[in-house]
Amino acid sequence: MLQLFSSIYKEILIIIRDKAGIAILFLMPMVLIFVMTLIQDSTFRKLDEARLEILFLDYDQDSLGMAIKQGLQGSGFFELATTYENKFLDQELIHQLLNKGKFQIGIIIPNGATNTIRNKAELIVSQAFDSNDSTNINEVKAQDDATIILYFDPAIKNSFKQSVKNSLQNFTFAIEAKITFDYLAEEFSDILSSPNNIYFDPKGSIRFEELYATDEHTEIIPNSVQHNVPAWAVFAMFFILIPLTGNIIKERDNGTAMRLEIMPSSYLVVLIAKALVYIFVCFIQFCLMLLVGMVFLPMFGLPVLELGPNKMALFIMVISTAIAATSYAILLGTIASTHEQAASFGSVSVIVLAALGGIWVPVFIMPGFMQAISIVSPLNWGLEGFYNIFLRGGGIKSILPFVGLLIGFSIISVFIAYQFRRFRKV
Amino acid sequence: MTKESLIKIEKLFKTYKGDDEPALKNISFTIPGNEIFGLLGPNGAGKTTTLNILCGYYKKDSGTVQINGYSLDKNLKEIKKIIGVVPQDIALYETLTARENLRFIGNMCGMRGKKLNNRINECLELLSLDKSSYRLVKTYSGGMKRRLNLIAGLLHEPKILFLDEPTVGIDVQSRTVILEYLKELNKKGTTIIYTSHYLEEAEQLCSSIAIIDYGTILIEGNLQSLIKSKSEYSDLETIFLQLTGRKLRDN
Ligand SMILES: Nc1ncnc2c1ncn2[C@@H]1O[C@H](COP(=O)(O)OP(=O)(O)OP(=O)(O)O)[C@@H](O)[C@H]1O
Ligand SMILES: [Mg+2]
Repeated sequence: MLQLFSSIYKEILIIIRDKAGIAILFLMPMVLIFVMTLIQDSTFRKLDEARLEILFLDYDQDSLGMAIKQGLQGSGFFELATTYENKFLDQELIHQLLNKGKFQIGIIIPNGATNTIRNKAELIVSQAFDSNDSTNINEVKAQDDATIILYFDPAIKNSFKQSVKNSLQNFTFAIEAKITFDYLAEEFSDILSSPNNIYFDPKGSIRFEELYATDEHTEIIPNSVQHNVPAWAVFAMFFILIPLTGNIIKERDNGTAMRLEIMPSSYLVVLIAKALVYIFVCFIQFCLMLLVGMVFLPMFGLPVLELGPNKMALFIMVISTAIAATSYAILLGTIASTHEQAASFGSVSVIVLAALGGIWVPVFIMPGFMQAISIVSPLNWGLEGFYNIFLRGGGIKSILPFVGLLIGFSIISVFIAYQFRRFRKV
Repeated sequence: MTKESLIKIEKLFKTYKGDDEPALKNISFTIPGNEIFGLLGPNGAGKTTTLNILCGYYKKDSGTVQINGYSLDKNLKEIKKIIGVVPQDIALYETLTARENLRFIGNMCGMRGKKLNNRINECLELLSLDKSSYRLVKTYSGGMKRRLNLIAGLLHEPKILFLDEPTVGIDVQSRTVILEYLKELNKKGTTIIYTSHYLEEAEQLCSSIAIIDYGTILIEGNLQSLIKSKSEYSDLETIFLQLTGRKLRDN
């Protein structure tokens, strides 16, 4: 015990005397998480929240045109432009503007579109009530259907195009239904000779409720903070290998490791002390990064990081990840012959494992075979565990598989390091 | 075990991995208790290799080593308790103070509290480091580091002390302090095994010596009787040169 405590005290002294090392350990990860989240947040918003400008030319100036205009504006995703640089739009100008890539979408509602709907509705209704009328409905349809012109930038995403088309179709159907319904209501009130008080609800009677599949009845909305803080926290924890391999290799090079090995006490005690101290350092790192997510990022207009309901699960997950990061560093520090070797191989390997593990780009965006490979990355196990806690509200049970993988990885790393030491003994 | 053979080495062989030539070829010698024993030889002769095997840091290929009656193969743990090692290269934590270094090393040897503190103060004073003991080791001069390196190896008052070139690269003042201290230590009963290139120094200090070259012992025994037996030579340096030749060893 004396040996363990003394070794821990020694490691702490060494860490706090190394100012540059402290900056790497604590400041860099905070800066990293801060910058990465801000960058990712802006792209995230561009995709998600930025309003798209649509060129809107309404020749109809009647119910249909109005309904589409209101519908698009009301959705919150689109901004309608009816002029460009103080010039009124026409079909030619719309074509040019899209062609130059200044806009992605243009919509032209033809003159008399609403009237076409009215005529058709009137015909259908009158046919239904007057069996003598022999006009063929299909003929009317073929001749008089109105055509809304949609201009798309060829570069636009297909899914986006589809959603614009769907919205327009919805607005049109609603208007058609309302107009037809109005004619019907009129006929009925004529027949029943009572005032028309039938009411048409254009919104329909089916509502949609959006839910996220989280556990324990919590509902944490995924956003860039919820994604990025755990992702970069895991990444930063693995970067502990830079100072820790440095520490191990320095001790070997300056002969203090030899001194310790010659002593009656086991060198293992020194190594355990090292690991404990660096696991604690990882823990502090993580807390600081949570602080960034909960306090600093919101100052820049980002959402506050939600920790999820299960703090114990979070603690276990942090410690498991820290143990894995520390063990990996011990392995590299043991095998590498110089610190340059350990640091360059170590950082490249962590960056590759991070990329594989979905730290840079979420796993679900990756191509299929990469998704399959991603599960070999310990950073992926760490990240998935944190996602379970942060996004899906999971408890201890939900993280156990990842904890198991991380601890297994740690045991294997330390075992290889131990074997390698024996093998290298002169 | 008799006083005559505190350390007994027989037929020691060692070849480093990847080397063609063995570093030690059939080394045998005995070191009586209470001696200051000098293991002398040119660069690359095998001095450090021998010491590192004796303290259990390197593996030997074959041969037997007995220290204080314990076998190196079977009772390394017991041996570790009674030996102290001062390595050839400074082995200290640069960003700790002298005191922090010594307290850590003392704790690792199982010493603690007031007893450890007193021992640290005593050693620092004897080697004139007491005034600078709260400074970081990286601010020390070469001589100060050497002296501290020495203290670190003998803080726990080992029965047997291995010193690998403890006086290399330091001024006369530091050297004198160290040598006086070692003599004092030996008087109190510590057996000292010491390697060096400085033959005059060895002649002053040692009661017995062995000369090693190319991994073999050339001569071994009580220093005075050796000099007497080779009456044509007057001092150790002449004997040394006679035995090892004038060829450079660096390649
Ligand atoms: N770790 C090692 N790996 C391979 N060869 C080694 C190693 N250490 C020493 N040697 C070789 O073994 C031989 C003996 O080296 P050793 O260090 O024991 O000599 P030495 O007598 O201590 O020399 P010096 O006075 O220069 O310290 C030399 O030829 C050296 O090159
Ligand atoms: Mg040597």
